[in-house]
Amino acid sequence: MGQDPSAPAAETGFEEIAIPWLDDVARFSRHLTKDPADAEGLLQETFLRALRGWHTFTPGTECRRWLFTICRNTFIQGLQSRKPVAYDAPELEALAAAAVHAGAVSSGMGDIFSRIDLGDAIKCGLDKLPEAFREAVVLVDLEGMSYEGSAQVLGVPVGTIRSRLFRGRRLLQELLLAHAQDAGLAANRSFGPLKEGT
Amino acid sequence: MNEDATMGKMLSCDKVMRQLWDYLDEELTPERMSAIAAHLSGCNRCFPQYDFERAFLRAVRSVREENPPPAQQRERVMAALRANGLP
Ligand SMILES: [Zn+2]
Repeated sequence: MGQDPSAPAAETGFEEIAIPWLDDVARFSRHLTKDPADAEGLLQETFLRALRGWHTFTPGTECRRWLFTICRNTFIQGLQSRKPVAYDAPELEALAAAAVHAGAVSSGMGDIFSRIDLGDAIKCGLDKLPEAFREAVVLVDLEGMSYEGSAQVLGVPVGTIRSRLFRGRRLLQELLLAHAQDAGLAANRSFGPLKEGT
Repeated sequence: MNEDATMGKMLSCDKVMRQLWDYLDEELTPERMSAIAAHLSGCNRCFPQYDFERAFLRAVRSVREENPPPAQQRERVMAALRANGLP
């Protein structure tokens, strides 16, 4: 901020280091905003801020993490308010995952994720997750970030990331299992192989 | 923590369940990773859940690739950046 835009030296390396992450930031923007037009606005604003603040980037550190942080902060600033979310300690969330699995097994869906392509349902389910959980799932599961890296992007302790991630995964699984159940995708049904449209 | 030292069978199922996500995310120490791996390979209670969660994570990851950003978007962003001082 406040940097003289006519100083060309400051932009050195921006095109080589920051621009290659454009697609990644675009994807992250889409997950945050859930709207293509808003996502492009956020993407553009993120890169404009990154360009203005390029002198604050520490060479040799992970540029994608830095860009995601700017993107996320820009997004938060544009929100009127953020709904607080409830979540439990990571260990309780981890144990709750066992209950989801048990439920899936008892309804004949123990192998649902390897048996059926749930791609569209996953995309849809991600958008339904409360924001705080979606952010954690997107960063760790889609973007492959570490707990530490995600914690840095979201500005929260690692323990909070674990809680939100585990809760987010569980909520997503519950949505997917409900979807699969409704769509008649459960196996082990007493009347034999399922048929569509029954 | 002696329990971390390759004694996979000494880990309780409860402890493995509590760290299953951390294990799948490879966020544990190498000792803990191998202890849990050893437990999972010999435990009929934990393995099915591990298999279920692993398939879930794979399915979620696969969504990322199917979602490329529009081609013209990059050009619009680059134009905005050049208008704002990018050489
Ligand atoms: Zn076990």
